[in-house]
Amino acid sequence: MTQRVFVANRGEIAVRIIAACDRLGYETVLGVSLADRTSLAARRAGRVVVLGGPQSRDSYLSVDAVLHAAVETGCTALHPGYGFLSERSDLARGCADNDIVFVGPSPEALDALGDKLSARALAEKLDVPVSAGGTAESWDDVSALAEQIGYPVLVKAAYGGGGRGMKLVHTAADLAEAWSVASSEAAAAFGDGTVFLERYVTSAKHIEVQILGDRHGNRIHLGERECSVQYRYQKVVEESPSTSIDAATREVMTTSALKIAAELDYVGLGTVEFLYDVHNGEVAFLEVNPRLQVEHPVTEQVTGVDLVRQQLLAALGEPIEITQAEAEPDGHAIEVRITAQDPDRGLAPTPGRVAEWRPPVGGGIRLDSHIYQGYDFPPFYDALMGKLVTWGADRDAAIARMTHALDRFAIGGVTTSKPLLRRIVTDPAFAGNTVTTHWLGDSILTGGAS
Amino acid sequence: MDVDLEELAAIIELLDKTEFTQFRFEKGELRIAVSRGEPLAGESASAPNPAAPTPAAPAPAATAPTTAVAPVPPPAQAPAADDLAADEFVVRSPMLGTFYSAPKPGEPSFVEEGQTVAADAVLCIIEVMKLMNSVPAGETGVVRRVLVRDGDLVEYDQPLFVLGRAS
Repeated sequence: MTQRVFVANRGEIAVRIIAACDRLGYETVLGVSLADRTSLAARRAGRVVVLGGPQSRDSYLSVDAVLHAAVETGCTALHPGYGFLSERSDLARGCADNDIVFVGPSPEALDALGDKLSARALAEKLDVPVSAGGTAESWDDVSALAEQIGYPVLVKAAYGGGGRGMKLVHTAADLAEAWSVASSEAAAAFGDGTVFLERYVTSAKHIEVQILGDRHGNRIHLGERECSVQYRYQKVVEESPSTSIDAATREVMTTSALKIAAELDYVGLGTVEFLYDVHNGEVAFLEVNPRLQVEHPVTEQVTGVDLVRQQLLAALGEPIEITQAEAEPDGHAIEVRITAQDPDRGLAPTPGRVAEWRPPVGGGIRLDSHIYQGYDFPPFYDALMGKLVTWGADRDAAIARMTHALDRFAIGGVTTSKPLLRRIVTDPAFAGNTVTTHWLGDSILTGGAS
Repeated sequence: MDVDLEELAAIIELLDKTEFTQFRFEKGELRIAVSRGEPLAGESASAPNPAAPTPAAPAPAATAPTTAVAPVPPPAQAPAADDLAADEFVVRSPMLGTFYSAPKPGEPSFVEEGQTVAADAVLCIIEVMKLMNSVPAGETGVVRRVLVRDGDLVEYDQPLFVLGRAS
């Protein structure tokens, strides 16, 4: 039977998924919004159906429209990409009810990981290091817990994640208000007002481990990525491997990630995120992203593994094609996210017609993008235009190649984050790899920092 | 199971006291679909749009079999928009779903070509994951052409009917 994969996403990741399906000989059906009928992904898909209007909630976020389209076009599998519906257990269940393979972990795993408090409890149970923290019912207990953790503390929403629904509290006087505001905001945004406390790591690096599992009990990790260059919890530059950690720390992270994968009987791709405290070298579990990650190409470039291919194969019941020994990294890869945002205006979105788009080509350069010259970049979705990835024998070589690649990348018609990215990769702090998660907001983007 | 008119009236009376826009009941052969008020996403369904054909769609979008390397099948906007007479307008699908021309299989269609319909007349049902949504004409007119077949998957904004304005 020929597999037919419904691609429930847009932009560069839809292009990426279609490419992986083409190489596997799978047919593709792409669900698009009315605004995306002329996208690059729409040109490359085997078939295109219009799910709904331009706004995401009418199209890419409509579980019913996506499911109905997948069923009626005879799809055997559905790939949700990242964002949109990728972590929705109701979509995973809906697929199962209609004999469509959801390319992601089980609905039970999605539920367990979607609740950050239960994910934290899972980590603790498995002796995975977590930041001091927890939750409490009564106000007395909450404030006692905060004292015990020590200020500053973070108030986090159980159903948040990726920086959403989070408040930083510096003093006991501010805790009560932050706690109640965070709780009501969480109730409004996520439908559940559960919040919890966690120690705030002042100087942290964001390091995450890529895991991959199949339905035959094979589970491997593909090393780590460092994503410490962030702005308002949005990753801007990512790399693999991390040169910030030693072998022992790497061992703690990869072992922890595999323990979590084993506990959940994890199938497909997942990312276990950690914070690394540069002052004391401690590792703290953050969350698990149960899906394909935006920054997956840096792992692909150093391991030589097509992660989307493995993810599809694993979901469809095939054994993964690589062993742990074959997943060792070679060299160093860096990714920068080119976005339609103006660095001089607080990264305000800059949609519009891409009059010029001439990417660099050359050995060790990769571009994952859905942009073509003349494309009208729509205002309805996220600002990502493309991910420029360079590979080098070591970190310095990868950075040098990135600098040249950015210089040769001609983009016209829309303002992009390219000048900011060039400043980052040529900054001495980046070269020395001393950056932590608040470096970008404290240095280059200090004008627009919150 | 049979439902007589009295029972049907009782059901509708009960529904009348509740907040709902769509109601669907199925048991064996019996299928009841009731909707009330503005149809979902009715604004796009009822917007007659003869002046805005889609220039990008080059060929009639037959439901061609899918092949992995086929070029993008153009959305099915072209056929209706291209050959509209001056007094005609198009009723488009307010959502992606399965097109049903009749309330239930084997029954007469909601409308036939040549039939005059009122603005609030139901022309068809679009089913999305077992939810039935009725599509009104939006404007009084005569049904000139039905552009899709019963049971077809229709896309959002796809032309379903061409109606002629009542003179």
